[in-house]
Amino acid sequence: MKITIAQISPVLGDLEANYDMHKLNVEQARDQGSQLIVFPELSLSGYQLKDMVEETALTPSHKIFSDLCQLSNGIDILLGAPWEEPSGIFYNAALYFAEGRLRHIHRKVQLPNFGMFEEAMIFKPGDTFVPFERHGHRIGLLICREILFPINPYLLFMQNTDVILAVSNSPYRGIRTEGDYYSLKLWERMGEICSIHFHQHYLFVNRTGFEDGIGFGGGSFYAPPGQSIQERAPYYDPHVMTVNIDPFLTRRARLNGHYLRDDKPEMVLKELKRILHD
Amino acid sequence: MIEFHPETAAGTITRFIRETLDKNGFKRAVIGVSGGIDSALVLALTVDAIGAENIHALMLPYRTSAPSSLIDARTICQNLSVIWSEIDISPMVDGYFAQVKAEVSPKQIGNFCARQRMAVLYDHSEKQNALVIGTSNKSEILIGYSTVFGDSAASMYPIGDLYKTQVFALAEILPIPSSIIKKAPSADLWQNQTDEADIGLSYAHLDELLDLMVDRRMTRAELIDRGFDQNEIDALKKRIRLSHFKRTMPSVCKISARSAGIDFRYPRDWGK
Repeated sequence: MKITIAQISPVLGDLEANYDMHKLNVEQARDQGSQLIVFPELSLSGYQLKDMVEETALTPSHKIFSDLCQLSNGIDILLGAPWEEPSGIFYNAALYFAEGRLRHIHRKVQLPNFGMFEEAMIFKPGDTFVPFERHGHRIGLLICREILFPINPYLLFMQNTDVILAVSNSPYRGIRTEGDYYSLKLWERMGEICSIHFHQHYLFVNRTGFEDGIGFGGGSFYAPPGQSIQERAPYYDPHVMTVNIDPFLTRRARLNGHYLRDDKPEMVLKELKRILHD
Repeated sequence: MIEFHPETAAGTITRFIRETLDKNGFKRAVIGVSGGIDSALVLALTVDAIGAENIHALMLPYRTSAPSSLIDARTICQNLSVIWSEIDISPMVDGYFAQVKAEVSPKQIGNFCARQRMAVLYDHSEKQNALVIGTSNKSEILIGYSTVFGDSAASMYPIGDLYKTQVFALAEILPIPSSIIKKAPSADLWQNQTDEADIGLSYAHLDELLDLMVDRRMTRAELIDRGFDQNEIDALKKRIRLSHFKRTMPSVCKISARSAGIDFRYPRDWGK
């Protein structure tokens, strides 16, 4: 499976401009033979929405929604948008379009709400991690902070998910001693936990650009099952890259590690019940 | 010194300047260059971001400003090939104070000078279709060592998250004359003024305490445990608290259901 990673810098609050940016990238990826293109979290709206969420949310009756459905004939599209359904309720959502329709939606569960983040003020959290089948793979979606809770990719791992599409809007911060920022290392560490211990093809797709002085770090990457990061986009600048997913890698990694076979979800359930209820 | 990676910070700041100008529809910048390290650093970073040809530097001395400041300001502009203008603000300042009957303090004159410089910079902003790039650093922003609506007035603060000691470290990797790096920092609002005498602490000490207090969120007890004087801690906290009005917009008296500055919440980069 050929997947294009679109590390873009959206215009804050301008759906039309961002749709055009998406369309251009989608058409190029499709023409180059990709079966899927992945955009970052909230790629259609930008991140620091505040009250703009009311004006930038996508609904099933929005013209851009039908345009996106149309655009997904010939290539699958994963993008991020504020999703309004039912009316007046907003989710930070990852929307997977394929074959002319919305194929899957994931609503962000852990909404960061501290320091510079105020997502819980504008979004309602989702409450489930459900994978879906596509192109012979079982695909699971993670949105930004969800990546940082190991239980989330574990839930997808338990459901035999072999491809994780992890989309993000990660601001870079914490310049201390390194040339990179500590906030970017967080994603790389968690990605490799998933690729190595959960045997997943792990694609991290982050955005770039500035909003109100806050810079987003890019550094999107691909880590194949059983391996560390193999391909990485540059930090800080927009970039488009295409990776090939080898469907046999997951099996090979499982045979080497047997983490899925030896996992004990019943024990986890039993222990969680004991911890929560006893 | 606070741990810090100057090259990474420089890259971030130049991208920030370039993108902020671009998304606001501007190609040009005006910068007030005093001859001090903050404005020299901002000038060098802005040159990296948008090129010297898109910058107009303004030297705005008052009659009591140190002549060496103007020489340093010219040197940095010359070194960076930036076009500059020198405008003596003495007639503007003295013209006003000539009408004031009461005694005038150095602080009054200093603040008035800072606001006249702001007025000149914004006039050039309008005339040249350029944004005013601010030169405030994190140390002075946190303790409020600035003139409100004076030197604090700008469209962006590229070094607003760098402590003064980090400003020095960053200046070392950029083409900034050593005469600027080596001299004692001064607002040059009156003769022989130095920042450290005004503040009552060295920047090294101030920044270390601010970093622990603000960035690392250490409690008073932890700071005392680390050997900091409790009176000094309390005085600094008070200074941060009392200067917070300089870091926020004026309060709006709420009357309606939705009020600007309270619950009409949009980012500054709205639609950009």
